[in-house]
Amino acid sequence: MQQTVLDRVDQVAEDVVSLVLRGADGPLAPWAPGAHVDLALPNWLTRQYSLCGNPADHDSYRVAVRHDRLSRGGSEYIHLFLRTGHTLDVSVPRNNFPLLPAPEYLFLAGGIGITPIVPMLAAAVEAGAVVTLVYTGKSVATMPFADELRSRYGDRVRIFATGKQGRPDFSVLAAALNPHALVYCCGPASMLDAAEAVFPAGRLHVERFRPTVKEFAPAKPFEVDCVRSGQTVHVGPEESMLDALNHAGLRVPFGCREGVCGSCELLVTDGEVEHRDDLGAAPGRMYCCVSRALSSRLVVDL
Amino acid sequence: MTSSNVAIRPRRVAPGEVRARLGEPDAMIKKKKLGHIDRHSRRFIAHAPFLAMATCDATGFPDCTPRGDYPGFVKVLDERTLAIPDRPGNKLADSFRNLAENDGIGLMFMIPGVREVLRVNGHAYPTDEPEVLARMRTEAKEAELAIVVDVVEAFFHCGRALIRSRLWDPASQALAEEIPSAGEVAAEQMGVDVDPKVLENMLEAGYRQLY
Repeated sequence: MQQTVLDRVDQVAEDVVSLVLRGADGPLAPWAPGAHVDLALPNWLTRQYSLCGNPADHDSYRVAVRHDRLSRGGSEYIHLFLRTGHTLDVSVPRNNFPLLPAPEYLFLAGGIGITPIVPMLAAAVEAGAVVTLVYTGKSVATMPFADELRSRYGDRVRIFATGKQGRPDFSVLAAALNPHALVYCCGPASMLDAAEAVFPAGRLHVERFRPTVKEFAPAKPFEVDCVRSGQTVHVGPEESMLDALNHAGLRVPFGCREGVCGSCELLVTDGEVEHRDDLGAAPGRMYCCVSRALSSRLVVDL
Repeated sequence: MTSSNVAIRPRRVAPGEVRARLGEPDAMIKKKKLGHIDRHSRRFIAHAPFLAMATCDATGFPDCTPRGDYPGFVKVLDERTLAIPDRPGNKLADSFRNLAENDGIGLMFMIPGVREVLRVNGHAYPTDEPEVLARMRTEAKEAELAIVVDVVEAFFHCGRALIRSRLWDPASQALAEEIPSAGEVAAEQMGVDVDPKVLENMLEAGYRQLY
């Protein structure tokens, strides 16, 4: 964790505020476009937010947060109770949505899903790539950075206020897509589903803030051998591996608890993992907030 | 206790006499009772991980129970309505049974380190409204039920009781060493011939499953 001071809170759209967090002890850990951080709130909740500022600014991070009507206490707390000048712990940035080199990009953003796209777009333009941003939202007033993006990038930014104009037809965009272009999409689940239906999987990169709905066989109990601590932890059918490890005092960090953020990644040296996350764990790794074991035993580096 | 040490029945002070002994409250005190949740009460509730909840049955027989979770676990639905999640407990459902007979409810919110407490009194009923329960999801589990409170009065209660009790003074935690463990108490009170250590371990195992 890095200690920061909340420098500014600005309203950037209806129900959306932007936070500027300045490093309390000098420069903050570097990041690349697409990265997100965990923000530890004073009410003990931790939430993930994409960095939407400038990666060249090493003194501060910027995030934007929509007040969720069904908030469990994260976005509501940020909107109603956070105070400038107070310190907040912020994780080192993680990136599950990195911008890969390409001559052309199509960016698709829905509502608050614009946040990781803002620095990606800037980096792509800087690199001299051909870019198009299709940005949708209920109305322009609810869409953070819409005016700013339009004035900076002109007609490379296409804004769709779905309340008035309906949704853009992704199949038309897919048909016209340059074969060398990459597509980056961040927004609500319905938008990601629409993109996954028409764009080639190898060229489409998505960032989710909610897990997909998945069906699994009933959860079975299993044992986890933690090689570094020498402990063996039993995971019951009713509890997550993350909770079992933490209750045993092993202190695994976590964020979303839904398999979308990547904070609880573990190195697995033996056993067969049942991956239940939306990130696609690399070989030998797992996200223990949702994933479980197919074998009766897992060996982890913990 | 044996019959030889039954205390003398303390004498009862008549209601009118109580007022005479205490005197009249300050006019200012009456003003602090609000009929709604103002921004200060709202901030207090958003930071409170604990409350005591009092209910009564139809005859007026009372019950008081602790509720706790992460700060802000009680949701402010609007300035006259709160929602308290129901988490797994002893399944006795005393509060729900009481509320079915008598909808009066008294709440006392506490924040570690804060000497003043927030008190909210009103009328309450159970709900399973999905949009309310969705806001109470923790450890990927939703609450089964919540208690909706229609606020009648909300006010801050001064800190004298908490100051005198040194409730938030870390040194006060030494008191915990002077009472028997929950396992020892349970073994004796339930009259079972089990090693208190076994009961203690059962209790600890149960505490692992908080949701």
